[in-house]
Amino acid sequence: MKKSAVVIFPGRGTYGKEELGYLSQFSGANDALIAQVDEWRREHGRTPVFELDNAKAYSAKTHASSINASALIYACAQSDFAAIDRDKFDIVAACGNSLGWYLTLAATGGTTNGIRLVDTMGALMEEKANGGQLIYPFVDEDWRPSRTNEKAIGEALHNGKTEGQAFLSIRLGGMAVLAGNEAGMAAMEKSLPPVEGRYPFRLARHSAFHTPLLSHVSKAAFDTMPVDLFATPDIPIIDGRGKIWTPGATDPRALYQYTLGEQIYQTYDFSKSIEVAAKEFAPDCLILAGPGSTLGAPIAQELIAHKWQGLTSKAEFAARQKRDPFLIAMGRDDQRAQAVKQ
Amino acid sequence: MAGAIGASTDRFLERLKAQRLPLAVTSISLAEAGLSKTTLTGIIESQMTSRALDLQARRLGAEKRGFYSIGSSGHEANAACAHALRINDMAFLHYRSGAFYVERARKVPGETPIWNMALSFVASSEDPISGGRHKVLGSKPLFIPPQTSTIASHLPKAVGTAFSIALARTQKKDDATLPLDSVIYCSFGDASANHSTSQGAINAAAQFGYRGLPLPLIFACEDNGIGISVKTPQGWIAGSFANRPGLRYIFGDGRDVVDAHRAAREAEQCARGARKPAFLHMRTVRLMGHAGSDIESGYRDREEIEREANDDPLLHSVRRLSEETGVSLDDIERLYAGITDRVTRAMEAATERPKLTTAHEVAQPIIPPSQQRVARGSAMTAAAPNDDRAKSEPQHMSRLISLTLAEGMERNRNVVVFGEDVAKKGGVYGATTKLQPKFGPARVFDTILDEQTILGLGIGLAHNGYLPVPEIQFLAYVHNAEDQLRGEAASLSFFSNGQYTNPMVVRIAGLAYQKGFGGHFHNDNGVAAFRDIPGIILACPSSGKEAVMMLREALHLAHREQRVVVFLEPIALYGTKDLISEGDGAMSAIFNDINDDAPLGSVNIIGDGSDLAIITYGNGTYLSQRAAHQLKESGIKSRIIDLRWLTPLPMDEVIEAIGKRKNVLIVDECRKTGSPSEEIIAEFSDHKVNYNLARITGSDTFIPLGPAANSVLISEDDIIAAGKTLVGKKKSRAAK
Repeated sequence: MKKSAVVIFPGRGTYGKEELGYLSQFSGANDALIAQVDEWRREHGRTPVFELDNAKAYSAKTHASSINASALIYACAQSDFAAIDRDKFDIVAACGNSLGWYLTLAATGGTTNGIRLVDTMGALMEEKANGGQLIYPFVDEDWRPSRTNEKAIGEALHNGKTEGQAFLSIRLGGMAVLAGNEAGMAAMEKSLPPVEGRYPFRLARHSAFHTPLLSHVSKAAFDTMPVDLFATPDIPIIDGRGKIWTPGATDPRALYQYTLGEQIYQTYDFSKSIEVAAKEFAPDCLILAGPGSTLGAPIAQELIAHKWQGLTSKAEFAARQKRDPFLIAMGRDDQRAQAVKQ
Repeated sequence: MAGAIGASTDRFLERLKAQRLPLAVTSISLAEAGLSKTTLTGIIESQMTSRALDLQARRLGAEKRGFYSIGSSGHEANAACAHALRINDMAFLHYRSGAFYVERARKVPGETPIWNMALSFVASSEDPISGGRHKVLGSKPLFIPPQTSTIASHLPKAVGTAFSIALARTQKKDDATLPLDSVIYCSFGDASANHSTSQGAINAAAQFGYRGLPLPLIFACEDNGIGISVKTPQGWIAGSFANRPGLRYIFGDGRDVVDAHRAAREAEQCARGARKPAFLHMRTVRLMGHAGSDIESGYRDREEIEREANDDPLLHSVRRLSEETGVSLDDIERLYAGITDRVTRAMEAATERPKLTTAHEVAQPIIPPSQQRVARGSAMTAAAPNDDRAKSEPQHMSRLISLTLAEGMERNRNVVVFGEDVAKKGGVYGATTKLQPKFGPARVFDTILDEQTILGLGIGLAHNGYLPVPEIQFLAYVHNAEDQLRGEAASLSFFSNGQYTNPMVVRIAGLAYQKGFGGHFHNDNGVAAFRDIPGIILACPSSGKEAVMMLREALHLAHREQRVVVFLEPIALYGTKDLISEGDGAMSAIFNDINDDAPLGSVNIIGDGSDLAIITYGNGTYLSQRAAHQLKESGIKSRIIDLRWLTPLPMDEVIEAIGKRKNVLIVDECRKTGSPSEEIIAEFSDHKVNYNLARITGSDTFIPLGPAANSVLISEDDIIAAGKTLVGKKKSRAAK
């Protein structure tokens, strides 16, 4: 009997040094998809993703730039999605984080041209986006809610708003992604007490995504992309508010309005999308498409927040993963085999 | 096994597989009904989800892993009603409204209706509305206050909430819970339309309409033609309600979701646009019996059951979906299979979630959570009478109550006073005197003569941020409406896990001994009806001064603690000025001089005599003070402990006030059976305190007219005699 699965698509920042060559290694039978992507990239004077993936060395400047990272991650994730063993898994829904929403649309038919959507948004972000993002945990080191951290985040947002502009950009499981203009970011960084030796952690080459600071990017996106770029998805998809778009009940015009509108300048509630995926689809497992697997921790943190399948801590989650993974990360060598056809 | 929940076969799926679709029952187009292909599909997905939930609930019930099986099957047209309304149009739903709930939730991003319903079917403590206390359809973010197995007891409060919207709009209220242009939706079945409660509520709504007063309300009668096993006569609902003055009747065929939406939109336009009450009569069918434990074949023949199954609204929806969108029946079957799988997985996962395990956990939300609401003061009308003189002179109880109400209304603009005769007349005993000229007809108004409506208005007003102070003219009159307190007001916090509350102070003129108006109905002395209702506070002042302090506390308890307080005012003391001798003025008080508090749980201690403690309340306190005066002359010194609060009884304070006194007399003016004295004595036992104890109470009879009344009520002489006997006993024991 097939296992039911919800597929989750990653966001920006998931193609790092370790992922160099991911596409070449795993794209397999998806050459056609890569070729299509690269044809688009060449037509628009952008470095083909295959070339980026096959670079001799990883360069943050090149690989992590908005215009390149988006397309690279898109190609990797679509490849992974196509590689999932459909004889083994019944994919009942899909969702993603931030950029992962575009990937969700692309994988499920919600857009008629995934690379156009992804690349255009990548280019618009590169050209027009401003501000920055940082991450800070809501939870303690065992992934349990931390009132101290929650309070610190609240105070940082207040201080950021006092000194400049500051917003909650993404609810990312146990992590808060905060964003703002430079003054706001500086105030938040100053306000947040250092924890775990690495937070607050400023995300390089990231802008103030999912905040009103990018309202102009939304306008430009509407000017650049037509409504017929959107279509009804072929499976249910869950957006950054936790709304479920089912195939028959989806009006592509509404999908267009949300994706290029609110989705760009309002908080992206990835946590809620995971909660909805778990509760409304109650799948046998979650499959996290690559590249990378860094989104695994926020997903697990959100599952723990809801005591999903009885999980209440990082240690319990790790034990469960070892025994019978509920979350299969295709970007992890030890788990990928469980998702793809052997 | 009788009473056990049985699983049901999916007769819809059988027919869908066999492609046996019924003929169209209406010819209305999507455009005429205001629907698009995608919205139609969305609504039908909600219908299918609701059906799958029903079937899975029955499966779990049969496996003894689920605990509720009254389903929505055949009533899924209410999904169209949900679609036609806004999210914040508050909905009071009857138990066949699963599809309404799912559809409304579908419109709100992040809502998890399947999971929430699954949790409620298995009575998990994580159920977000009741916390595992009952299978209710409810949600705070979806503006659906929870209802249980409603027999139309929710209709009066629907009228009240709709009235509150109209009132808030008149007042341009800026802190109302509900938008000023919202409407109220209230559904019920054809069988419960016969209930006196629904008849009363529909009558009240129609009278609003008849008088041209705004009432944005939709009554949705889902008519499946049968109440458990008893059939509703053909045409009864239409015949009863189609031509009611003041009520717009709209029919929709709930077998066809498109026609249902057309009708719901019409009703919505009537309620929101014209601000008139609408009666939406929705034809439905009842599938799979009344509940999972109901063996339908025992009272319906097979042919009839089959006919209903063939007329399944979901089959009509399938035909619509296929015809309107071109989607194949195979694809529809796949869609339904996908939904069924989703629901099945969620239900299975839900069975693993925790449940309530202790009585403490269960009872926890009976007392609502405190709310630090800020009361905002109010302006008075230009013609407001000046109360300065009244406040600085001695007044009797009823005038002191009206002054306290005025004070409360000045301090909190959300306080509204209403009831029969409270406005121009100033209350049947003058306890609302001069309030309407002072605060205007929007805050002090007369109601129709119907206690269910009066209490329903209170509950409804409280749902929208008001602090209602309804008046019931006589204690005996509340009994025909008692369920509005027992089944509705008191249970709201419990069934919503403290998320919904309906704070109010219900003032009731009551108890015996009044001289002007004899007989039982104006002298009822039974309070047991209030005392077993979890969460209710029953207050009973014994003088004007006590009434002021306690009414202030009652308003505070309602405002801050969100409690439902019944304030029982002894009619016989309303106008009493003197205590011992004519002209002593000891029962009167000057409002401006009353600065003490009477907090919940406190008692009023009168006297310090050590021979005898008299525990009493209301008229008993008055009588006991007079008796104590005479006992003192006989050498018996007493202390009177006036209970103030009859529910919950302030037993710790009582025992402390008794102190070292060994002789304890309970003077209880109520009928013996069910009187507070029963609980007091039981509490003494629980507290393991031993006294030389006696009680005197009223007789177990209704109160007759004329002098015969004295024969069944306690008197001063009874108290004196009982006191002497008690103290005498002690002395004789000591002598031995």
